Amino acid sequence: MPAPHPIYKSLLRLYPDSFRSHYGDDLVQQFADLVRDRGARAAWARTSVDLMVTVPRYRLETIMNEQHSATTVNIGITLLAVGGAVGVLTGLYPGIVPFVAAFGLAAAQRSTLARAIRTPDSHRRRRRLDIAAVLAVVFLASYVSLLSKDRWAGGEQMLIAIGVPAMVGAVVFLIAGLLTPRSPGGHPAPPIA
Amino acid sequence: MADLDPSSFLPLPQAQFHVLVALTEGERHGYAIMQAVENSSDGIVRMGPATLYGTLKKLVDKGLVEEMEHRPEPDDDQRRRYYRLTGVGQRVCTAEADRLANLVRISRFNLRPGMG
Repeated sequence: MPAPHPIYKSLLRLYPDSFRSHYGDDLVQQFADLVRDRGARAAWARTSVDLMVTVPRYRLETIMNEQHSATTVNIGITLLAVGGAVGVLTGLYPGIVPFVAAFGLAAAQRSTLARAIRTPDSHRRRRRLDIAAVLAVVFLASYVSLLSKDRWAGGEQMLIAIGVPAMVGAVVFLIAGLLTPRSPGGHPAPPIA
Repeated sequence: MADLDPSSFLPLPQAQFHVLVALTEGERHGYAIMQAVENSSDGIVRMGPATLYGTLKKLVDKGLVEEMEHRPEPDDDQRRRYYRLTGVGQRVCTAEADRLANLVRISRFNLRPGMG
């Protein structure tokens, strides 16, 4: 009989209903097997990364395809980090919470586990440059609105809160896009020795 | 499903290919698949429970893997689910292995001593 593991079991509520109802018992069984064979610390070390990588991905995959969900997770992390950093820099100290959360999520997304479940994307360079362009447009729109005289009350802070993360995100995605190697075209196969 | 072109599934995410390779040895339950993947990747790909079952779900949805109706080992916990490759899954696994073998051949050819 598998051990109950109530903490892990309650964390499974973070997953979409369909996934949890179909695989919930298997997930708990697998976790119990890990605890039995590797010990609680090793099981939790592995499962923590697993949760951070898969919860946002599986949630998003219920409403969009794999490729878009991976991109959306990256954009979300960027906005969370930049929003948190801007909050801290402007004296909103609770901003440290999203900043730390973004840092943890970003570290999990760089893990071997996250890379293993990612669908190889031959258009990654193009996709990153497209995102940079969209964020640049958002920044420019915020900047132009800031210059306009007929703003609503509190609009300035709102525009800064949108524009600054968008500007930083645009620079980050532009650099990432330019650093991403172009996908290889038709490569002539070498002769078989 | 049998008429599907295996190359239409390629390239496979690393985790999906590892799971297919683990199932080439025969039907397995989730934990056994996880252990096989860890061994075949020299400990580099260490799947957590949700990664494994999310990967299995995608492979089942694509028709590359199927859940077995009965347990191959009667002594085992009856609640464990067993999985096996479908015919399409075997062909996709072979096609991905060929694709990667070709990449290895190209890189070995280009990086052979005396080049560059």
